[in-house]
Amino acid sequence: MNPLIDSDSDEEIQEALAAGTIKPGLVVEEQKRDFINNREGIKQKIKEFSLSNLRWIERLDLSSKPALSGESASNGQEEGQSENDDFNREMRFYQQAQASVLLGLKKLAELSVSTKRPEDYFAEMAKSDAHMKKVKSKLLEKKMSLERSEKVKKMRELRKYGKKVQQEVLQQRQKEKKAMLDSVKKFRKGQVDKIDILDETIERQPKQKQAQQMKNGQFRPNKKREFKNKKFGFGGQKKRSKYNTAESAADVSEFSAKKAHGKNPVNSSKMKSKNKRPGKARRNNMRNRGKK
Amino acid sequence: MGKRKLKTQATETTNLKRKKSKKEVVLESIVKSDAPVERQTKWTNKQRALIFSSRGISYRTRHLMLDLRTLMPHSKAEPKMDRKDKLFIINEVCEMKNCNKCIYFEGKKKQDVYLWVSNVPKGPSAKFLVENIHTMSELKLTGNCLRGSRPLLSFDKNFDSEPHWQLLKELFIQTFGTPNHHPKSQPFTDHIFTFSIEDNRIWFRNYQILEEEDGSLAEIGPRFVLNPIRIFAGSFGGATLYQNPHYISPNDYRRALKRQKADKYSLKVEAKEAAKMRKPEVSYALDPTDLVFNTVSQEDFQKKK
Repeated sequence: MNPLIDSDSDEEIQEALAAGTIKPGLVVEEQKRDFINNREGIKQKIKEFSLSNLRWIERLDLSSKPALSGESASNGQEEGQSENDDFNREMRFYQQAQASVLLGLKKLAELSVSTKRPEDYFAEMAKSDAHMKKVKSKLLEKKMSLERSEKVKKMRELRKYGKKVQQEVLQQRQKEKKAMLDSVKKFRKGQVDKIDILDETIERQPKQKQAQQMKNGQFRPNKKREFKNKKFGFGGQKKRSKYNTAESAADVSEFSAKKAHGKNPVNSSKMKSKNKRPGKARRNNMRNRGKK
Repeated sequence: MGKRKLKTQATETTNLKRKKSKKEVVLESIVKSDAPVERQTKWTNKQRALIFSSRGISYRTRHLMLDLRTLMPHSKAEPKMDRKDKLFIINEVCEMKNCNKCIYFEGKKKQDVYLWVSNVPKGPSAKFLVENIHTMSELKLTGNCLRGSRPLLSFDKNFDSEPHWQLLKELFIQTFGTPNHHPKSQPFTDHIFTFSIEDNRIWFRNYQILEEEDGSLAEIGPRFVLNPIRIFAGSFGGATLYQNPHYISPNDYRRALKRQKADKYSLKVEAKEAAKMRKPEVSYALDPTDLVFNTVSQEDFQKKK
């Protein structure tokens, strides 16, 4: 009894809702159609017209398992994998047929019925030769197009790979060159005693003197250093080294009467002629004049 | 052990021979010259199927029908039937053609195809909706078989589950199976008809047997899907034995699709109307008398100038 139809009172509806006999939302009565399924009648009918008393060879019927029926049910519900499902479904049919073939041929062999057609037995086929030719050409075309596309794909890949390899080779070469130059530089500077260039090992021959000195524990710096040492000093206190001492103050060896106090006329004139550039203020004035 | 086995085999073979000899016609020692020669009739299961259609079937259906005729040597043809003729006439046609099975294609609206399979004088008969037809002449189906060789009939295990499936199985065996030693048939087995139940429909496939050892197959065609509608007790009529609850008629299906489309349009129109209603004409209700207190300042005057 549907309480909605029975009464209009809210209380009853609330009670029904609490009891769970109705659910929130619009209540629509389902239209139930009766579908006929007369099982007894069907069974009776099967008995009436069945020819199961015939031998199997007359009927050739086989019943095989549907492969993976559970999966098929779930796949059927999923609409998203329809493409995949198509393939799976065909696969199932194929498997069913295969199982039946294996079973059926065994049965036929037991009944000693020939199933294989001899090579020299010619008869009309279900599909004409012309049609089969078409099928063959189509298959061939498909195969060819597949091959072609595969070839092109391969070529493309190869080209890509080749480019990569070439780049790598170039980089490698650059690296080697750099390393070689580096090593040469190091060798030249004397940081390294041995280098490999063009499959040859070049070893520095140590100078005998140097070697001896090295042996003696004395180290002699190179010429440049020596000169610098001489010029700027090496070791010892540098502080106050430029102070005048009594000796240096008394030293007048550098004094030249010619040069002193600008008394040398030749020299002074030379100086004057040399200094051709005017003073700054003058230069500025000249500039301004030129502008105006 | 080995000896005993051999012995049993030998006895079996002798038994077989005896059985064979039993069936074979053995001429009597004295035969009169004018007596008719008694011939051995091996063709015992004499099924003949009438395959024909109504007017107004599509070309694809026609091809399917022709394919079935080429694959079934025990079939007979008949001109297309007028649409106005009643179905029970078919029974008489079958009788005239000496057929006890009938496969009848019925075209409706130039697009829907129905298939009747019937056991003619006494029934039962079944009506199907035919979906997804692929004919044998499609180039992707690469198999081939002898014309008129007997097919193996492979049925899904589900055919044994429900009585109506059992009935259909029996009907198909009698209709599609080529009788043994049929005069037009070939004595080799090189193809197999597969009937599978999936999605409450019967899927038909026809495969060529390529290799007998591993059972590799190639599809010959045709393919079609039979959606059962009703099973009747009689031939082309009678009491309904079964009615498919999952069946949706193509008309209903199309109507639903159309309604969906119509809904789409009406919803759009409704939405537009609703938007119009929602949108107010005036953004804010102003009091027009407030404008009285607006005075013109010197700045406004100059601006206007």
